[in-house]
Amino acid sequence: MFSYYLKLGWLSIRRNPLLSTLMVAAIAIGIGASMTIITVNYVMSSNPIPQKSDVLFYVQLDSDDLNTLDDEDNELLDQLTYLDAMALMKAGKAYRQVASNRSGLVLEPQGEGERPFSVDTRNTWASFFPMFDLRFLYGGGWDDTADQNLERVVVLSKEINERVFGGEDSVGRSVRLNGMDFRVVGVMDEFLPMPKFYDVTNGAFNEPEEIFIPFNVAVEYEFDRNGNTNCWKMPDGDGFEAFLNSECVWIQFWAELRNATEKQDYMDFLNAYVEQQKELGRFPRPINNRLSDVMEWMEDQEVVEDDARVMLGLSLLFLLVCLLNTIGLLLAKFLGKSTDNSLRRALGASKSSLFIQHMIESGLIGLGGGLFGLGLAWLGLRGIEMLFGEYVENLVGMDWAMVMTGIGLAILSALLAGLYPTWRACSIAPASQLKIQ
Amino acid sequence: MLSMQNISKVYRAGLVETHALREFSLQVDEGEFISVTGPSGSGKTTFLNIAGLLESFTAGRYLLDGKDVSGLSDTESSRVRNENIGFVFQSFNLIPDLNLFDNVDVPLRYRGFSSGERKRRIEKVLETVGLASRMKHLPSQLSGGQQQRVAIARALAGEPRFLLADEPTGNLDSHMAMSVMELISEINRNGTTIIMVTHDPALAEMASRNVHILDGRVSNGTPEIKVAQVASA
Amino acid sequence: MEIGPIWRAMMRNKTGAILIALQIAVTMAIMVNAVSIMQEKNRMLSRPSGIDENNIFTLASVGFAEDFNERATVEEDLAAIRAMPGVVNAIQSISIPLSGGGWSMGLAVEPGPEIDGTGVAVYFVDEHGLDTFGLNLLAGENFSATDIVWRGRSDTSWPDKVIVTLATAETLFPDDPHSALGKTVYIADVIPMTITGIIEQMQAPWNGWDGVERVMLTPNRTLFGSSRYIIRTKPGMRDTLMPQVEEMLAERNKGRIVRSMSSMDEIREKSYRAESSMIKILTFTITLLIVITSLGIVGLASFSVNRRTRQIGTRRALGASKLAILRYFMTENFLISLVGVLIGAALTVGLNIIMIETFSLTRITWYLVPVAMLMLLAVGQMAVFGPAKRASSVPPAVATRTV
Repeated sequence: MFSYYLKLGWLSIRRNPLLSTLMVAAIAIGIGASMTIITVNYVMSSNPIPQKSDVLFYVQLDSDDLNTLDDEDNELLDQLTYLDAMALMKAGKAYRQVASNRSGLVLEPQGEGERPFSVDTRNTWASFFPMFDLRFLYGGGWDDTADQNLERVVVLSKEINERVFGGEDSVGRSVRLNGMDFRVVGVMDEFLPMPKFYDVTNGAFNEPEEIFIPFNVAVEYEFDRNGNTNCWKMPDGDGFEAFLNSECVWIQFWAELRNATEKQDYMDFLNAYVEQQKELGRFPRPINNRLSDVMEWMEDQEVVEDDARVMLGLSLLFLLVCLLNTIGLLLAKFLGKSTDNSLRRALGASKSSLFIQHMIESGLIGLGGGLFGLGLAWLGLRGIEMLFGEYVENLVGMDWAMVMTGIGLAILSALLAGLYPTWRACSIAPASQLKIQ
Repeated sequence: MLSMQNISKVYRAGLVETHALREFSLQVDEGEFISVTGPSGSGKTTFLNIAGLLESFTAGRYLLDGKDVSGLSDTESSRVRNENIGFVFQSFNLIPDLNLFDNVDVPLRYRGFSSGERKRRIEKVLETVGLASRMKHLPSQLSGGQQQRVAIARALAGEPRFLLADEPTGNLDSHMAMSVMELISEINRNGTTIIMVTHDPALAEMASRNVHILDGRVSNGTPEIKVAQVASA
Repeated sequence: MEIGPIWRAMMRNKTGAILIALQIAVTMAIMVNAVSIMQEKNRMLSRPSGIDENNIFTLASVGFAEDFNERATVEEDLAAIRAMPGVVNAIQSISIPLSGGGWSMGLAVEPGPEIDGTGVAVYFVDEHGLDTFGLNLLAGENFSATDIVWRGRSDTSWPDKVIVTLATAETLFPDDPHSALGKTVYIADVIPMTITGIIEQMQAPWNGWDGVERVMLTPNRTLFGSSRYIIRTKPGMRDTLMPQVEEMLAERNKGRIVRSMSSMDEIREKSYRAESSMIKILTFTITLLIVITSLGIVGLASFSVNRRTRQIGTRRALGASKLAILRYFMTENFLISLVGVLIGAALTVGLNIIMIETFSLTRITWYLVPVAMLMLLAVGQMAVFGPAKRASSVPPAVATRTV
């Protein structure tokens, strides 16, 4: 019976090509607009590291000024000071932990006529690579001794490796950074977390850094910082040493805590640490330490732009307008003279079978609208890419989940739109349409 | 009052020509009750449309109260129709979404009467056909005969020069048909000219004069009437 | 005009009318709120930055060689750039309006850590700063060459002179901003600076910051390892000079990289790309919406006309002229559209309230609602004209056809 209804639906659609085209178009446009924005929102709010997002926690300590305490806001500083980051790394109370910050170095490629260029750098510790599940093409991250001994080692991104070494296995070779030689220990595979959750304070949708070096080495050689630095209190005196000992925050800190117990233990440790620091005269505010897992942290940092959400709301309303349109068109179709409803009823079809027949026809139109709508959404995403430039390059791809959502949404919308016209069509008394001209 | 002189109507569809009326002539005096009969395909409907200024004609002249109403513009012929002709259709043609009051109101609106004048006329004609009490009802709530009476009321409301009735009882059972014909006769007795197109000889007899159309032309009476005349002679 | 009967007939056959009215209503709600958003974005990106944008460009110099002497490099670079024909002036600084990155410090009118400072953006300039940016000095005087202090990466001291924008003065001294000249303000809680000049207007690097008009200039040159040069050219010469300057600097000193060259126009475009893109997207959406709603009206009206062919013929027979039929359908649509825009007005305000609550958008300017109502009424009438014209062509002879 189902395939019979499909055939009927298809014949009915073919019978009035103009009307059918309009209906499919109405749904397609609504779906196209909605899916474009839904995709952007989806990618913006997607989980960049689903396999670990609930065991990775961003650490915040409230080392801020007492004078600016605003109870309503409950906003904490979003980074740590050098003193606190080092203390937490040394204590090593979590299963794993890592401090890092963003930096910029100059790479001088060896070779005739090669010009030096800037590279986006992340200064971090050995634990960064296992914590964030990074895969390597060649070699791997460095180990703890490299951090302790301030070894000049570097992990390259796939792109930099291709640019400097032509994509070969460059482990063991040397790269000149800021005038110093660094030894390559690993080359990373494609790494594009969307959003760039481990450092959203510096651009949530930027590409990850191009090279990674040990944090202590960057501090030792006073490499330039490229991120946000926030000082509620000026350092005591000039110079880098004074800066390191100051209340300026510039470091991102993540801890891996595998279960609720570990999380609680770590929180206890943080509280005890802050108590101890208070006795030294720091942390004027009441204790307010926070551990946010990946999704919580991104929510807190409002990674999904308001603009995107606004557009989502508007596009769903847009879909509503298209639906109203479709209801009208379906009404025109199902109540028009070209239907054979009454004939079928006279020949023995029950109301419910007519109902199913029409709903299936609606569903078919929804399917058609969904397919074209996805095409339109693809165009829409290309349009957004063109408008916003590199910023959104990584936001505008549709995966299978989105495709299925689009088609599902289209069919569901068409079925909803078809309910009233179908009901009207089935309620007409069989006799009334059977009068011969 | 009404004079159609040598009216011809030719329909052209591609290379095919259909002569619906050939040199058809008819004079109608005030107060007459004319029946127009003929088999199907004879040109009755064409005659009806032309008489009612619903269609143009190919040749001939049509005078209404001495004025030539051939070749009028659409606006002018609409006005002439509105002021002079009262239509009664076979399938009533009441507007289903309007109540009886609003239905009778339709031609009066196009006349441009004031709302008070319209109300007066509507109430009067609904009274005449005996349906004043159901003024606010919808056509679907009335029987066929009642609907036709409302249609007649609508036709009368503008005090037309003549009533043009197209098979007025065609969609009615015999009982209702009788009562509608009685109403039409009564209206004629009160002075309204009536031109009625019908295929029913019994109805045709209720008129004072009969015009028979055959192949688009006036023919000299129906064989049946000739027989009746002979019989009564 | 037969408004009464048209309305009564419509009420007995509501569905088509309701569909169109709802479409118009939702369209209006979307349209007006979208336009409101567009207006807001446009307001944002129309704000002047206060500097001579047409003629300014910037590029960065990043030192990396072991023997890189930043101080000498900067002095020589600036001398060379300023000597080039077509260059009006140039300075070293670390940021520029609308670039998105820079420094801000708190300024207060009284010293002490317990005093809450006001956030002010900092630009380091030398005595050529005002001329390079094209700033208008309202009161006081420019820095002199002897005021300039070289500043290291981790230095915490500040010069004793500062020039502020009028907006900064208004925030710090709300009762009498112009009296700010000569007054002392405190940076980093306790360090005093004297306001020696007030400039008319200059924006901070962050366009979305509520303190975007609060700027201060300090007489500093930086030794941070990398910095920008900001160069102002004579009108029309910017595009030719840009590659020349880049080339010249790269050749001069191989111990540093010259990069990130952009004109101020490009910086502005990038800074407001989100806003201008949003405007384009919303414009497109609104247009599409109107097209869809119009097509919906055309479709539904055509259907409705087709269903009433017999009625139209009857009316014509009863004396309606073609114009009268046209008027009938135009009036009918007008009534529907009227209901639609009235509901639409309510929906618009409702939607706006929701948007204000959830997204802190601004309230719509009141005149948008009546303008949108008139517009949609007009759109509806235009859309229904086609089907109405077709209706008026139904011949009167239709009335005498048997079913």
